[in-house]
Amino acid sequence: MIFFKYDRRIFQNFDWTLFALVMSICAIGITNIYSTGFSLMDNQSPLYLKQLQWIIFGMFLMVIAFLIDYHAINHAAYAIYAFSLLSLIYVAVFGHTANGAQRWISFGFFLFQPSELMKLSIIVALARYFDDHKSNEPYLLRELFVPFLMVMIPCVLIMKQPDLGTALMIVIVFASMVLFIGMNRKSLAIVAASVLVMLPVAWHFLKDYQKDRLLTFLSPESDPLGTGYHIIQSVIAIGSGGFLGKGFLKGSQTQLKFLPEQQTDFVFSVFAEEWGFVGGLVLVALFMALIIWGLKIALLSKDLLGTMLAFGITALIAWQMTINMGMVLGLLPVVGIPMPFLSYGGSAMVSLLVAIGLLMNVSVRRFLLQR
Amino acid sequence: MEKQFNLSNGPEPAEFRQKLKIVVILVGLALSILLIRLWYLQVIKGDELKHRSESNAVRFRNIQPIRGLVMDRNGTVIVDNRPSFDVLYMPTKGVNPETLLQKIQDIYKTKSVVFSFNAPFPRTVKPYLPVRLEKNVSMEKIALVETNAVDLPGVYVDVTPVRIYLDGEILAPIIGYTGEVSKEELEKSEEDYLSGDITGKHGIEKVFDPYIRGRRGNELVEVNAFGKVIKNLGRIDPLSGSNVVLTIDAKLQKAAWEAFAGLTGAAVVMDPRDGSILAMVSRPSFDPNLFNNGIDRDEWTKLQKNPLNPLSNRAISGQYPPGSTYKMIVAAAALEEGIITPETRIHCGGSFTLGNRTYRCWNKHGHGSVNLHRALVESCDVYFYTVGKMLGVDKIAHYARRFGLGEATGIELAHEKKGLVPSRDWKLARMKEPWQLGETISISIGQGFNLTTPLQLAQAYSALANGGTRWKPHLVQRIELSDGSIVKEYLPEKKGELKLSRQTLAALNRGLWGVVNEPGGTGAAARRPYADVCGKTGTSQVIGLPQNEKARRAQKITAFHKDHALFVCYAPMKKPEIVIAVVAENAGGGGAVAAPIARKILDAYFDGQKKRKTVRVAANTRQTETD
Repeated sequence: MIFFKYDRRIFQNFDWTLFALVMSICAIGITNIYSTGFSLMDNQSPLYLKQLQWIIFGMFLMVIAFLIDYHAINHAAYAIYAFSLLSLIYVAVFGHTANGAQRWISFGFFLFQPSELMKLSIIVALARYFDDHKSNEPYLLRELFVPFLMVMIPCVLIMKQPDLGTALMIVIVFASMVLFIGMNRKSLAIVAASVLVMLPVAWHFLKDYQKDRLLTFLSPESDPLGTGYHIIQSVIAIGSGGFLGKGFLKGSQTQLKFLPEQQTDFVFSVFAEEWGFVGGLVLVALFMALIIWGLKIALLSKDLLGTMLAFGITALIAWQMTINMGMVLGLLPVVGIPMPFLSYGGSAMVSLLVAIGLLMNVSVRRFLLQR
Repeated sequence: MEKQFNLSNGPEPAEFRQKLKIVVILVGLALSILLIRLWYLQVIKGDELKHRSESNAVRFRNIQPIRGLVMDRNGTVIVDNRPSFDVLYMPTKGVNPETLLQKIQDIYKTKSVVFSFNAPFPRTVKPYLPVRLEKNVSMEKIALVETNAVDLPGVYVDVTPVRIYLDGEILAPIIGYTGEVSKEELEKSEEDYLSGDITGKHGIEKVFDPYIRGRRGNELVEVNAFGKVIKNLGRIDPLSGSNVVLTIDAKLQKAAWEAFAGLTGAAVVMDPRDGSILAMVSRPSFDPNLFNNGIDRDEWTKLQKNPLNPLSNRAISGQYPPGSTYKMIVAAAALEEGIITPETRIHCGGSFTLGNRTYRCWNKHGHGSVNLHRALVESCDVYFYTVGKMLGVDKIAHYARRFGLGEATGIELAHEKKGLVPSRDWKLARMKEPWQLGETISISIGQGFNLTTPLQLAQAYSALANGGTRWKPHLVQRIELSDGSIVKEYLPEKKGELKLSRQTLAALNRGLWGVVNEPGGTGAAARRPYADVCGKTGTSQVIGLPQNEKARRAQKITAFHKDHALFVCYAPMKKPEIVIAVVAENAGGGGAVAAPIARKILDAYFDGQKKRKTVRVAANTRQTETD
């Protein structure tokens, strides 16, 4: 088992495009968080600096994730998954509570959110599973039972925290990977039908505030005091940006704090207010390029493992970005999914950068694999 | 691109390529939808939304709920609410708060009214949260602000409910007061407080705050550039708090308060049948209305610095040596332990000698040969020195605890003190010294280390009066909604049993009856013609027992060194329905000072009862007539 063997080709074929895309988006994110923090009068160190520290730390781990051959990582896939699962259980029992949710493990100077780690671990574990159980035929329902369990156990734990958004994300990424690798049509029909049947039951298990969010999405003006307030303020912020935006640090909705959750879930509203449609277009284009690039890596990978890893990671980024934007634009219910690379949050940032490291890993190793 | 997927096993690369194409199309489609929406919001509706963001139109504000009322046992409202008109300022864009404040001042000056807001404008204000400039303003100011609204963008008058304590200082130690939540409460409390919320700070207002407070409402309104509401976007009405019904009888409370006029101390009136408190007086007191609009700093320091500490409730946190009121307990212990019978006689020659120390009886001429009955009636110290010595401190402590002394009664109020029942173990643990026999002698007449609160005394005598059941004293009967439906009811709670024999109870009862009704009894001042009153006087020394009389004489008897006067009584003897404990600080003898206070309370109680009875009888006769 060789973890890392020096090979010139790793550096010769380094995926500069991917790196540049991610760094551009991160730079936009930092600038944007700087803007949200601008009017904060706190004595604490500003958020953008903290986020910058996380990016630097994340890049360090990204390099590690890039250097170790992903086949080696694959050997540890289930161990990584088990570790994530254990930390989720730990959170459920001893976790740190903030804003009514028990999501974090406190390390004193920072809070670690294991559900963010789980998002990545589940992709790694699923890639391993599908690689171990290759088949020429589309998967049948019973063949998918084990990965289904692997997904549902952490999902239940995350739902309990409660963190609907992250749980939803994991399920969506799983579904994407299954659809991508191929599923028996009959099985697919059964799953689709049972999901439809289960929806009312799932509704019953949602917390009241989660139900509220889903309902207010349908008509935000019906509850302008609750979640509707977020949506209304977000839409006003985005719309008031106009075509060219109000300019950096000049977003009145942002600077006057009308906009709630502006460093986290609603960070795109801040960006859109200050940079306008032009800024939004650039950001969406960058993400589109990143997604296409990720899919290309999936396609070019020389083995199924690499394909599944790259596809899962790209799917995660694509879904998060789309759902978050839909949310702040008032197109989707507010489910609490942060914007990748833009929202403030250490655990999310680090795990995303590690994911990018893996993506680079797959990207570069197609030049090394000889089949 | 040359593809060399050559998997022996697994899906075909061509299939992946096909699928990825679909994925790219789907992603492109999704992002296009997002971009179209972005275009729609920013370009098509951009101007409209820009206008909305500039007029900064949407304001979120909290509506304070109306606090629940507090009523006495007869439904008389003791604590009510009244409207207070406040001048508020909603930060408005393009307005400099400093110049605005100056403008208000100038407008006020034209009518020579003083603008009371003179602090610098708070720097960190949330743009959608108003700043309260003035509270409880006069009609004149309201008119000035309203008529000059155009010049004062963002300034408006708002009505908020404010507490009014109808009985003022009479009930203040029980009911407490309200105020804005403090920083600590905001940070530490588990309740859902927001800055500016009104909360109970003391007494019933604090303990029952979760019920009384109600639930905050809020509204989202659209305002114009002057801060005037032009459109209501939504509102959640506040929920009024629940009413608290006390066991207190407001009339009796007032009578007890007046009976205590000019003195410092506390009185507790309790129903021995269930432990409900009918009246609880603590003097001096304070006016809780002072706190309604935020207390003046001068007023506050005055209250804080007052050596008599008007903010404390002496009935539950004043700890006094029980003096001779304790003899009832020593007598109970001696009878139960078989050390004496009611007929055991002991000679009192005016003093009691232990080793080389002499303990004086309050009557230096001595009481002669006395049995238990006479010893109680005349409060003979020597009798109890002798009995106490035979019992020993730990036996006395054992019985004192049965009477509920030395532990908090558990009444609903905070800051209740436990008092102190001394014992050998206690002294060893606390002072690292063994117990001295001489201390037992002091203990047996309620002096020395002994400490009780007036409430504990009332509880102890209630247990005796009702035949042996110790009820937990309580102040709150029930919590109800404004329509009278009951939210929570508090039933009497049994705390313990005295477990005294019938003979012991009878002997004590007779003795305490004699204190008030027999010649030579120390409590004659509480004798009433309409009811058999039983009671016990007490005079507790404030400055320890001096070594000899000369030293005592030499001591300057200042006001703070005068004895505490105590009196505890219950009536009527056959079926007691009221227990009164009175402690008057530094006032003199129990029989001379405390008993007359109890008499006035008894009069108020039985007078009120007579009136109620006649009303009831009248109502009944009317009833029968109509039948």
